[in-house]
Amino acid sequence: MSSAVGDLVSQPYKYGFVTEIETDKIAKGLSEDVVRLISAKKQEPDFLLQFRLRAYRQWLRMREPDWAALGHPPIEYQEIIYYAAPRAQEKKQSLDEVDPRLLETFDKLGIPLSEQKRLTNVAVDAVFDSVSIATTYKEKLAEHGVIFCSISEAVREHPELIKRYLGTVVPSNDNFFAALNSAVFSDGSFVFIPRGVECPMELSTYFRINSGDTGQFERTLIVAEEGASVSYLEGCTAPMFDTNQLHAAVVELVTLDDASIKYSTVQNWYAGDEHGVGGIYNFVTKRGQCRGARSRISWTQVETGSAITWKYPSCVLLGADSVGEFYSVALTNNRQQADTGTKMVHVGPRTRSTIVSKGISAGHSANSYRGLVQIGPQAVGARNYSQCDSMLIGDQAAANTYPYIRCQQPEASIEHEASTSRISADQLFYLQSRGIGFEQAVSMMVSGFCRDVFNQLPMEFAAEADKLLSLKLEGSVG
Amino acid sequence: MVSASMELPPAGAPSGDGWSEALLAALAAEELAAPLDAAGPLAAVRRRGFEGLRQRPLPSRREEAWRFTDLGALRAVRPRRLVTSGADPAAHWPAPAAGSLRLRLDGAADPLAGQSLPQGLEALTDTDLEQALGQTLAATGCREHWPVSLNKASAARVLGLRVRGEVAPLLELVSDTATAEGVLALRVLLLLEPGASLRLLQVHRAAGASLTSVVVEARLGEGSRLEQGVLAQGADAAVLLGHLAVSQAPGSEYQLASVSGGWGLSRLEPRVVQLAGEAITRLRGLQQVDGRRIADTHSQVMFAGPEGRLDQLHKVVADGAGRSVFNGAVRVPRAAQRTDAAQLSRSLLLSERARVDTKPELEIVADDVRCAHGATVSRLRQDELFYLQSRGIGADLAARLLLRGYCEEVLRELPGAAALWHPLDTFPAPGAPAR
Amino acid sequence: MIRPDAPVLLEIRDLHACVEEQPILRGVSLTLRAGEIHAVMGRNGSGKSTLSKLLAGHPAYRVTGGSVLYRGEDLLALAPEERARAGLFLGFQYPIEIPGVSNLEFLRVATNARRVARGEEELDTFAFEDLVRERLRLVQMDAAFLDRSVNEGFSGGEKKRNEILQMALLEPVVAILDETDSGLDIDALRTVSAGVNHLAGPDNATLLITHYQRLLDEITPDFVHVMAAGRILRTAGKELALELEERGYDWVDEELAALERIPAEVG
Repeated sequence: MSSAVGDLVSQPYKYGFVTEIETDKIAKGLSEDVVRLISAKKQEPDFLLQFRLRAYRQWLRMREPDWAALGHPPIEYQEIIYYAAPRAQEKKQSLDEVDPRLLETFDKLGIPLSEQKRLTNVAVDAVFDSVSIATTYKEKLAEHGVIFCSISEAVREHPELIKRYLGTVVPSNDNFFAALNSAVFSDGSFVFIPRGVECPMELSTYFRINSGDTGQFERTLIVAEEGASVSYLEGCTAPMFDTNQLHAAVVELVTLDDASIKYSTVQNWYAGDEHGVGGIYNFVTKRGQCRGARSRISWTQVETGSAITWKYPSCVLLGADSVGEFYSVALTNNRQQADTGTKMVHVGPRTRSTIVSKGISAGHSANSYRGLVQIGPQAVGARNYSQCDSMLIGDQAAANTYPYIRCQQPEASIEHEASTSRISADQLFYLQSRGIGFEQAVSMMVSGFCRDVFNQLPMEFAAEADKLLSLKLEGSVG
Repeated sequence: MVSASMELPPAGAPSGDGWSEALLAALAAEELAAPLDAAGPLAAVRRRGFEGLRQRPLPSRREEAWRFTDLGALRAVRPRRLVTSGADPAAHWPAPAAGSLRLRLDGAADPLAGQSLPQGLEALTDTDLEQALGQTLAATGCREHWPVSLNKASAARVLGLRVRGEVAPLLELVSDTATAEGVLALRVLLLLEPGASLRLLQVHRAAGASLTSVVVEARLGEGSRLEQGVLAQGADAAVLLGHLAVSQAPGSEYQLASVSGGWGLSRLEPRVVQLAGEAITRLRGLQQVDGRRIADTHSQVMFAGPEGRLDQLHKVVADGAGRSVFNGAVRVPRAAQRTDAAQLSRSLLLSERARVDTKPELEIVADDVRCAHGATVSRLRQDELFYLQSRGIGADLAARLLLRGYCEEVLRELPGAAALWHPLDTFPAPGAPAR
Repeated sequence: MIRPDAPVLLEIRDLHACVEEQPILRGVSLTLRAGEIHAVMGRNGSGKSTLSKLLAGHPAYRVTGGSVLYRGEDLLALAPEERARAGLFLGFQYPIEIPGVSNLEFLRVATNARRVARGEEELDTFAFEDLVRERLRLVQMDAAFLDRSVNEGFSGGEKKRNEILQMALLEPVVAILDETDSGLDIDALRTVSAGVNHLAGPDNATLLITHYQRLLDEITPDFVHVMAAGRILRTAGKELALELEERGYDWVDEELAALERIPAEVG
């Protein structure tokens, strides 16, 4: 049975094409001059250059972390190109001026940007090789005071906000990859929801890696002021190359009193082939700070791609009664490795957090959940509930669970539950005996396994995620 | 990984760690003064222990396995073999229960001298020892662990027993460093023949600045059964480092109940391997910390074959500014299909300054398995307290009753004779309610 | 209802099968015509549950001899889902729990698979809800069960009702009900039996696998077969069930022993 299920999860990657487009690249390698060059090309104010240089110097003294259950050949940081942009990448006033090949690329990815075809009720920032090429619905959002633009644009247009918030959640010396990102980040999205505003539509950034030898270093910053709320979704794809591309992004979220941010990710970077050749190395630092009382940050992720995933979207719960949530589905197949989870750091009193993690491992892949729940001495009445479930498909895949718990507060309660399961032959037969085909039966059970997490995705994307998972499970069965 | 070898000291270089070096020097000097048997089964073991200590410094907090374990209390112990002095601590021991065989382990005298062993127990010969010593440590992957090297370098004796058939009496192994200072290293090897069964109670006591180092190896033959109780009652300056290495053949049953409290630092490492699966492992642990004490349990259960079972419960009571660490690894490789493993860790946190670190580790590479684990950290249940109070029981007493109930779940798994040692006194806080 | 001229729906001929090399069925022959209700009785281990699972296509059983024709076609060549779509239904003795998969969605996907196979339109969510609500009444099930995961946390009786609900939705041609009465109290038994009686008609056939007479008090069989050691020992009318109830199964042993002796004596 399990070998048949194993066949099912091996299906070709659908977004593996490369867009032929001229790019403006700098020479490979990293140095202080390269950092200055990136900053100069982006015509940045001095404070940002200084931010980058400080990060670069910190990075030089840091070492790549080695505690995750991941193995890969050494990353040659001097072989990577740290800046690439589609030529004439000046942000266009209207979509008509955007290179049609780029628009076509996003059409093919199912993210139409043009006025006629674009998604209703979802504003999209399209990032191609780390450069934002278009943002839809900007004007409509501006009417509500919502700022949604590329981070480069925000640096020019809203430097005071960038200065106030950038690097305050993930300091530039937080970890090796965050330092690298802080030194060389190219582009990404900036969202600002002013006091009392409920963002009128879903915001979404779609990241497309196109280039084969370029590192990808996006930076995203989302700020929700008092009483503001927003739901944001990030999607990712990349072409198939037989080399590995490094993706080291940083995402920072800030919520003030009574604010809430819901951040969803559907990650489908290229994962490499069945022998583990190629694919994205995804080393990402995502962290949110609930600064205000009663504020809320919720991470939902559906991770299906990347050769390596190293990612722990976290919440630092500072404000009293603030809430952190993490809902995750991670599917690994072939030789993929994922070491992913979350950190919930309870600082303020009565802070609450929920963790629901669903790992599905197939093929020769390794899927690790690594989580930290930390309750500090001031977090009186803090509560955490964690649930980590693993599903194994085939007997060659690994599912590891490392849930760290650190508690310094007696008036706190922490509960952790974990289980391991598989698709049993009896369940399959039961569904089949009701006329449901093998493939659909497997897909139904995998979706059922992930249901708690899919329920957290914005409506528009829940079906999308389900489809993506089914796609990954699609194959030929007799 | 890229950076794996960057921080290791060059091979053969001294570790630069003063405590280990001083211990090595003291042991070497002792050996000069009174040479130990150079040809006995322990000679080679001692040599490897010396080597191990020379090459490997004290564990550092940078190592994942020692991240939360401060060795300050260990460094305060005089680095030399324990020198007993003063009154015989055995005078304060309870008389052995009827039907139990008590052997005293003091690291020097032969515990079997003058004892007649009951039916089913026989002392291992030197040849047996040479053959079997260290095998289970290797099988459970802890031969190179620092506390094991320390034990190898310091242990002057080994108690080796072969078990055949059902041994009726409870075997009681007692060590008591009382107020003596220095290092007491105890090494035990048990070989359970197929179908054998043994009940064992280890009692380790300390009242002064001493280190009690315990390494027990047990090899369980097919269909054999070992019920092991460990009751460790320490004091602020005392340190306990224990490795309990167990290998299980199919059809065997191993149960461990360990209860520790009072030690400035205690670290127990039960390590079990089911060599071909199809065995039953049942682990029960209870550790209590208060004051500034540290209690650490690192357990590992490895299933090297199919259809193994594990039922593990680890309980913690943390009070004062105490620190508790629990790291429970369960490894289920591909060969271990149809494994059924459950691990539960429950911690009671009673003070604002106490701290609990819990880290289960589940590594699974088999699809037809049932592995569940759970962890909770909480304080005493308010509704339970209230219920007792509403029946006229004062808050303090109610809390103590609840605590006792909480501990009872593990205490009752100790062999019955353990009651003579007043296991509840191990925990100053949850003692019997005052009348 | 016995009509000698009614079309044959299921024809089992000298069926042999084993599980993990252990022979379980040792020559079963049975013919079901439209409109008939058959009961297969026997002790635990007689092979009656094996027969039902094998007919539904359970992968654990291997056919080593004989044949099964379903409306003239080779049933054994079909995958389990193809058998279901063609109208064969197995009511499970122990219905399987499938956490996370919604019961409503499961019922809808299954019903539509059967409808498509019959050349009918798929029902959209609204039309299906109407249909399922109507069929719910037949088994006196609360609509709240639709929102739960398939069989998860259902009591024994609820699981069996859910089975009959599926039968009512799939409208099978041949329904095999494996120990549908086990674990039911008398009220639940009556509800379930009423459902089965309601669904039995002149164009379909029902095969009841049971251990006890009490189900047959509620559903009157046209034929009763007694199974032992992987064979059908005796076939008669409904009075055979009463005889079994009265005499127990001991006589079966004697008859079986006699049967087993014959080949030895002959050989």
